[in-house]
Amino acid sequence: MTDKHNDPASLTGSYALDSLSAEEREAVEAELDASESLRHEVTELTDTAVLLGRAVAPVTPPPALKASIMSLIATTPQLPARERPSGVTDAAASVTDINSRRASTPAAPAPVAPTASVAPSASLSPAARKAQSRWFTKPVVALVSVAAALGLIVGGGVLVNSIGEPPQSNQAGDQLAEINAASDSQRAVSQIDGGGTATLVWSNELGRSAMIVDGLEALPSDKVYELWYIDEASGARPAGTFTVKDDGSTLRVLDGDMKAGDTVGVTVEPSGGSKTPTTTPIVAIASA
Amino acid sequence: MLKLVTRETDDHQDFESDAPVTQDQLLSRVAQGDQAAFAALYDQIAPRVLGLVRRLLRDHAQSEEVTQEIFLEIWQTATRYDSNKGGASTWIMTMAHRRAVDRVRASQASRDRDTRIGIRDYDADYDNVSETVQTKIEHERVEKAMQRLTELQRQAVSLAYYGGYSHSEVATLLSVPIGTVKTRLRDGMIRLRDELGVAS
Repeated sequence: MTDKHNDPASLTGSYALDSLSAEEREAVEAELDASESLRHEVTELTDTAVLLGRAVAPVTPPPALKASIMSLIATTPQLPARERPSGVTDAAASVTDINSRRASTPAAPAPVAPTASVAPSASLSPAARKAQSRWFTKPVVALVSVAAALGLIVGGGVLVNSIGEPPQSNQAGDQLAEINAASDSQRAVSQIDGGGTATLVWSNELGRSAMIVDGLEALPSDKVYELWYIDEASGARPAGTFTVKDDGSTLRVLDGDMKAGDTVGVTVEPSGGSKTPTTTPIVAIASA
Repeated sequence: MLKLVTRETDDHQDFESDAPVTQDQLLSRVAQGDQAAFAALYDQIAPRVLGLVRRLLRDHAQSEEVTQEIFLEIWQTATRYDSNKGGASTWIMTMAHRRAVDRVRASQASRDRDTRIGIRDYDADYDNVSETVQTKIEHERVEKAMQRLTELQRQAVSLAYYGGYSHSEVATLLSVPIGTVKTRLRDGMIRLRDELGVAS
């Protein structure tokens, strides 16, 4: 390196703070393999950065986000447990294997590891092993991107996907993404009488809205939940029916047009739905 | 809230007992495909992840989207995690910051243009009292350590970490050469490490 500021040793602070370009980050990571002192410093400064992160006030996520993530992971495979990067020495890899094998199920792949000779005789210090093993996990951007391409990840992160009905869900997810992406997109969360949470996402510009429910009780087969657009002048307009999955969650983009200031309500109706509400709403969310 | 319904087998009876389960233990269960453990881990750490991501992105909808990506990555890569990595919380918070920065970079314009923030942003209540107290303590420790830095170190570290700015952007913002920024970020972080008693 001709510029001393591009010497990886001078970039440890920037590395820990994620303020490097991708190329610079790679340059630092390439050096980590060769320099224990560099690994040591990067590890400590990264741990320090985590403390900066933990000093930030937590923000409670809306229940819909959890519903969305749980649906996603239910259909997303995990990476295989092994596949060490080539730069890791055998000793470090073996130690890691033993640790992960101890914690895993019997079905997990059991790489050949000479149990007797590993841990005590490993040439690296514990700090070095710790440092070495943690800097070689490349992000799995590719898999995330595949999920995104399939429409599983949408703006606002509130898609509820389901195993049984992917085309429909993805369509609803796409519509929700559109609503989320609108410049005037808003959302409101409300508790449902009898348990559960309802999140309404809407855009007056698009005249569309979507309801995400979580923890809602399933209904007997002769009943459905029905959505309504309600305004004081003309009363309740039917906006579609829905049922919930076993986990009590669903995503439903409302039928028909939303007018600015509409309240969105949910009632329990006979199967097939009603033209006007026949029961008291279990939840009503004002959009104004 | 979602119920932990994924596996009704009895292989996590210990999980249902009242014994406290650490994030490290939860993460090792996640690595075995345990969705209930994932849900429990999410409950514990999602407010911190979302808090950090939103600090950088500011836009709430985008922050939720990035938080979703982070948890998906946690799920996918938990199989590659091992306890040598310095704790589940460290692993997750490091990943969260990096992904938030990735998003900041990808939507560069978002930082100075988003006029919708005022509409979309809302202040969420803290989850519970103990978390508030703990966060307050951690916040005060960091705050105190920050006061020991020079003005330039503090500004550079804050812009980089909490603003998600690259060191060349920090150089522009502070009107100092980029080499100076790199040095200040490093000696600032070393000072913080020492003040906060971090050692590997």
